[in-house]
Amino acid sequence: MGRLKHPGPGFLPFGLAIVLIILSLFLIFSKWKKGIASTPFWDHRTWLRPLLGVAILIFFALVVQWVGFLITTFVFLIIWMGVIERIRWRTIVSISVGTTVALFLIFRYFLEVPLPVGFFKW
Amino acid sequence: MKKDKKFSLVWMLCLFLLIPVTVGAAEKFPTKPIEIVVPFAAGGSTDVLARMVAKYAPKYFDKPLVIINKPGGGGVTGTEGVVRSKADGYSLYLGYGSGHDLVTPHFQKLPYETFIDLIPVCRLSVHSVVMIIRADAPYKTLKEFIDWGKKREQVTASVSTKAGSVDITFQALGKATGVKIVTVPFRGGAESVTAIVGGQTDCGGNHPSEIISHIKAKRLIPIAVALEQRDSAIPDVPTFKELGYNVVTVGSVKGVAAPKGTPPEVIQYLSERFKKVCEDPEFIKSMKDIGQPVMYLGSADFEKYLKDGFEQYGKLIKEFNIKLE
Amino acid sequence: MFQGLANGFGIAFSFTNLTFALLGALLGTIVGILPGLGPAATISLLLPLSFKIGSPVTSIIMMAGIFYGAMYGGSTTSILVNIPGEAASVVTCIDGYQMALKGRAGPALGIAAIGSFIAGTIGVIGLTFVAPPLAEFALKFGPPEYFALTLLGLLMATLLGGSSIVKGLIMVVLGLLLGSVGLDPISGAIRFTWGFFMLQEGVDFVTLAMGMFGIGEILINLEKELTTELVTRKITHLWPTLKDWAESKWAILRGSFIGFFIGILPGGGAVISSLVSYAVEKKVSKHPEEFGKGAIQGVAGPESANNSAASTSFIPLLTLGIPGNAAIAMIFAALLIQGVQPGPFLITEHPDVFWGVVASMYIGNVMLLILNLPLVGMWVQLLRVPYAILAPIIVLFCCIGVYSIRNTVFDIWVMGIFGVIGYLFRKVDMEPGPLILAFVLGPILERSLRQALLISAGSPFIFFSRPISGAMMGFLILFIFIQIVRAVRAKWTRVQ
Repeated sequence: MGRLKHPGPGFLPFGLAIVLIILSLFLIFSKWKKGIASTPFWDHRTWLRPLLGVAILIFFALVVQWVGFLITTFVFLIIWMGVIERIRWRTIVSISVGTTVALFLIFRYFLEVPLPVGFFKW
Repeated sequence: MKKDKKFSLVWMLCLFLLIPVTVGAAEKFPTKPIEIVVPFAAGGSTDVLARMVAKYAPKYFDKPLVIINKPGGGGVTGTEGVVRSKADGYSLYLGYGSGHDLVTPHFQKLPYETFIDLIPVCRLSVHSVVMIIRADAPYKTLKEFIDWGKKREQVTASVSTKAGSVDITFQALGKATGVKIVTVPFRGGAESVTAIVGGQTDCGGNHPSEIISHIKAKRLIPIAVALEQRDSAIPDVPTFKELGYNVVTVGSVKGVAAPKGTPPEVIQYLSERFKKVCEDPEFIKSMKDIGQPVMYLGSADFEKYLKDGFEQYGKLIKEFNIKLE
Repeated sequence: MFQGLANGFGIAFSFTNLTFALLGALLGTIVGILPGLGPAATISLLLPLSFKIGSPVTSIIMMAGIFYGAMYGGSTTSILVNIPGEAASVVTCIDGYQMALKGRAGPALGIAAIGSFIAGTIGVIGLTFVAPPLAEFALKFGPPEYFALTLLGLLMATLLGGSSIVKGLIMVVLGLLLGSVGLDPISGAIRFTWGFFMLQEGVDFVTLAMGMFGIGEILINLEKELTTELVTRKITHLWPTLKDWAESKWAILRGSFIGFFIGILPGGGAVISSLVSYAVEKKVSKHPEEFGKGAIQGVAGPESANNSAASTSFIPLLTLGIPGNAAIAMIFAALLIQGVQPGPFLITEHPDVFWGVVASMYIGNVMLLILNLPLVGMWVQLLRVPYAILAPIIVLFCCIGVYSIRNTVFDIWVMGIFGVIGYLFRKVDMEPGPLILAFVLGPILERSLRQALLISAGSPFIFFSRPISGAMMGFLILFIFIQIVRAVRAKWTRVQ
């Protein structure tokens, strides 16, 4: 950790941790004193959609390297719009196709960013 | 009869298909651009060297050289990337012989074996460690600096990275001269030059290419260089050895390396072509202008040079009892 | 000098140079808008092209265009979707996005563009006239000064904490902790990586920003079933009104000057400028409560600051040969390779390069203004897209952007985790702004502290004995003292 005059790598994190603990206690304490009623984090299932969003994101991260960018993006868009939102099928498909192609073109050709190529070579 | 015909047809087809395969195999290296990985930040001395080489390469290489920067971990991250890449000659490491290759392994274990997992292709340049002071400092030579430094509790030296070639050199110097030298690390050569130019430290250590414009502008004065012989980029600067202090290193060597397993013909091709670039008069002139000496060495000689340099650092560290604190 | 400038304009107005200036500005704007790719990376991609161009003047003109173009573009995403394009645009998110939500995206974008133009031009004027002495001033900034400056910046960041100072402080501390992930440059020790090799360089800013700001925002919006557009209030005028202009003009001027001076300093110039500008605007405003809810000065000031900082960050390069940040370092390398030594002799040995670049910066700023203003209309239309469709596209954009930094899915995971964290933070009413700013400034702070103590052999006196840092520390202490006195007084009167 180093001496005070010669701080080592552990100095800052340690000090910060202490400050953090003090501040958090202060916060908890002051709220408790004010007697604020605790409101529920989520009322009636509002946590569902964010959770789905996270789930789809996880799916994307897991699958994209394996299956390739194009397919994953396409499926991602379809699932998101279909499951989380309620949009007409036609709109979903057209937007999914359009966006996937557009993104692919922009990133792959215009910017020459290497995108994950899955084993379908797409 | 019909069966025979079918059979021979199949045979012909196979032979037919074999042709492109054999032709493909016989196609000479390179068939696509070659990636050169520089494990340091863009704009640094190694990066500039790489880009300079890439600029003149199209004259001698059949395919272009593409420079990719992968800074991080003091150079280890990018180097490891090359170590783990395919040994087909399309992924090379430029900077072989830098601090993390010759100095760091004496202190820490790296995620790869510097001399086993990489094959030396050729040496391009040597970036020596030069000691510089401000032009308006109260000391003008190494001797004066040492006299001045002995009277003080400590003197500070700006260096580019902790435990890099410059840092170790200065720690050795401190022990050799009896002056307490405290090395202050910055993020790379550019930042450390800024520090010494601004007078934040008492002296600094850098490579010639990082300070040449400041020397020309008479802001900085080089007072010694840590090499066996004088550096051709700054021929008027004496070595530490000449001045009586046995602080000799190979500096930061800049060579090209390929991953273990790269075919010898590929290495041969590469080292020949790099040699041609190093012999190009325009290349030599441009390099001289930016303070980087062109010092080509072929694969086998380079390997020996590197190993000697590595041992030399080892001896220096032992002799002066340098520790990583 | 005027001779030189006149020559410079002559050079800059050549057809080739004008074309490349435009190209650079255009590219820069696009790069600024797109997540992941930054001006430094773009310039490095284009380096080989610069050899083909041949002339160093033209290459630098183009690269400079990319650099300050990116500053213009970075604010666009901040305002529209609350995702900062780079660290200097984080502050713009705060009021800019609020303005967009109120249907005032047009004026926000407009005033950002106008402010950026004015500030950029002021920066270039400064470059023309006072470059050398300013550069000398910048040299005097050593570790103690950087420490004091970053401390100042961090203090400003806590003030962004919205309602509660304590919450703001907690976010700052968390940001500092996040900033210490990775390799410690002073000692070589590796911190907080839990064996993940990918974390050795620390968490990447873009990943953190995309996660906390982008994904976090989307997740929280998912809670409400938005079938319509994000902005339901009628999108009013496309342009800033006269009232907006009246309110912002001083902010723009102040921001320009703040960015001008702080931008010269190598290191955190643009970020710190935007922070200081925001804090200053909040302090001098007659309606400080407006800040955080869509005060136009909160956009005008910081945006001007970061643009004039972009202009002045060229000063150390052109006069001393010292690059101030990654993008400028690339330009430095490009110059070197073309045989032009950036340094004190640049102006005498290669006056065409120096003046040509300076002149083209004037022109570049004009070009960007002309480019960006009509685009405002287009961007605002984007907000009309139903959120249900916009949201997944934004998420995708973030994913790809983050992936493109290091070509690894690991970064997408990290972004996702920060997204969830950002979402949870918003649920408890904690602003991610101070966190991300502390994340950026923290490493500089720590490094400077330790470097300074190495230089002073452990004595903290160094922070006060040097004139510049002494002045800053004094100001800091005074400031904190006044805040405490005010808070205590307020409590006192309440008790009575």
